[in-house]
Amino acid sequence: MASVKIRNVEKSYGTLKVIHGVDIDVEDHEFVVLVGPSGCGKSTLLRMIAGLETISGGEIVIGDKVVNDVPPRDRDIAMVFQNYALYPHMSIFDNMGFSLKLRKRPKSEIEEKVLEAAEILNLKPYLERAPGQLSGGQRQRVAMGRALVRDAQVFLFDEPLSNLDAKLRVVMRTEIKALHQRLKTTSVYVTHDQIEAMTMADRIVVMNAGRVEQIGAPLELYDSPANLFVAGFLGSPSMNFIKGRYRREGDGAVVICEDGTKLPVSAVSSAWNDQSVVLGVRPEHLRLAGEGDGVPATVDVVEPTGANIEVFADLAGERVCAVFSERHPFRPGETVALGWDLDKVHLFDADSGKRI
Amino acid sequence: MQPKLKKSLIYWAVLSPLVVVILFPFAVMFVTAVRPRDELFVYPPRWGFSEFRWDNFAEMWVKTNFGEALFNSLYVSVLSTALALVLSIPAAYALSRYRFPGKGAYRTFLLMTQMMSPIVLVLGLFRLMVALGMVNNLNSLVLTYAAFNMAFTIWMLQSYFSTIPRDLEEAAWIDGASHFTSLVRIFLPLAVPAMAVTAIFSFINGWNEFVLALTMIRSSDDFTLPVQIYSQVAGRYQVEWHHVMAGTVLATVPVAIVFSWLQKYLIRGMALGAVK
Repeated sequence: MASVKIRNVEKSYGTLKVIHGVDIDVEDHEFVVLVGPSGCGKSTLLRMIAGLETISGGEIVIGDKVVNDVPPRDRDIAMVFQNYALYPHMSIFDNMGFSLKLRKRPKSEIEEKVLEAAEILNLKPYLERAPGQLSGGQRQRVAMGRALVRDAQVFLFDEPLSNLDAKLRVVMRTEIKALHQRLKTTSVYVTHDQIEAMTMADRIVVMNAGRVEQIGAPLELYDSPANLFVAGFLGSPSMNFIKGRYRREGDGAVVICEDGTKLPVSAVSSAWNDQSVVLGVRPEHLRLAGEGDGVPATVDVVEPTGANIEVFADLAGERVCAVFSERHPFRPGETVALGWDLDKVHLFDADSGKRI
Repeated sequence: MQPKLKKSLIYWAVLSPLVVVILFPFAVMFVTAVRPRDELFVYPPRWGFSEFRWDNFAEMWVKTNFGEALFNSLYVSVLSTALALVLSIPAAYALSRYRFPGKGAYRTFLLMTQMMSPIVLVLGLFRLMVALGMVNNLNSLVLTYAAFNMAFTIWMLQSYFSTIPRDLEEAAWIDGASHFTSLVRIFLPLAVPAMAVTAIFSFINGWNEFVLALTMIRSSDDFTLPVQIYSQVAGRYQVEWHHVMAGTVLATVPVAIVFSWLQKYLIRGMALGAVK
């Protein structure tokens, strides 16, 4: 049993509280990603799971053991660090076998386990080299190999891909995910990159300023964000936000912007007339409206990415981004009519940020 | 002429008087050490001499009891360095790794002890050694040298230690190492260059020290090198200058070479401290 339960955990440095009552349940075999902007507390939380930081309040349970006062070496965890943390004065073989050596395992066992991990991670040709002689990607694999050899019940990843170049990051992302599918070890992965979170996680925990904003499967969070922060954080290019006032109109409703433009939305029972709201719609959900339909927008910048065309336009006084997979001949300055499916639109209360 | 070469020549020209002033005593020392005795006081004094009298060194060794003084210097320098290191390493580790109340005050305290010269404190130290019954005992020098060197060694070690990434030890803890094991097997091997440089500086400080050695050690059998050489000159009716200079050559030249080689590490260590 290798679940991780974080129950009402708090962390303070002196009088400064950085983590406020966090509750997260990581199930056995799950790959959970903690994602959020820099300084949100995700690394601190991971280090508390590892035992590298003390816990100021609440408790952390690994398996069926409360580990608040258990030192890292007795928690049966393995960690992959952002800067790899490979022992520079040891060979790759010794780096990977260090944990087994500490446990006084026989030489044959160490050799067998290290070779096995090296095989999986394509590290066999490098076993006699020193870390300084390897590239960033290779070092990262050694760091993972070191964790693999441990055969721990929980794997912790602290932004392991941040120091790699963009292309290598994509390759390593897939490798880590494949590794998890193969080994099925419970994993907690910290990153600030929402794409990593979306592509790798079984469930995502979005954090901000020491609090959990939302927990759920990637597409769940993507399609139904619980608040403005989650809505704006996941997805690239990020969701468009337009401020206005909600008004019932016939069977449906509209959001009236400051310049008077009416944006059609579906009626929501929990919203009231004249409520200050923020309308959210994802760039890929904006489409070219038909004749007499849609909302006018003035094209500002057109960015072809190859696979798509990203159009930045001025709609009702706000800058919006629309993504099209078809190659329309947009020109800066022209006016287009943009529309959307009513069920693809999100409404958030302007004051609390919460989803309506 | 290329501007860079020109600049180089100008700098050399400007600095060469300084170079001459610094190297002059060494030149005189060496030349006096290798010339025959009867050419010591030729007037007018001249650089040239008839032959390299290497025997001067052998004679000097026996006559001035050089061997025993050399041993005493080695004993004091090595032991005081070892003692300073053994005490400094944990202190530097704590300063670089931990937060604790009074950390700032402790660092200021270290800095303050560095500002004190042994000469200023020599009387007080003498009385302390008398009270401990350690006057005329080389171990009194071991203790005082270790104490005076510690501010420097802690400072140097701490700046180097701070460059060793913390996550290496954290990785070791997660791998299953105790704090002690991670210190010995991961941290210290990486700190060896820093410890070597610090040890050598501490050694040189102990080797060259004069005032405390002169004050604490009373019997000539226990003199350290600087004092032994000094005793060949002070209060004597007849000074064997060629022996004195030979002794000085042996006592200073190796150390000067090692120091000039090491100074780039000293500067690096100090610069690291400044950046922190």
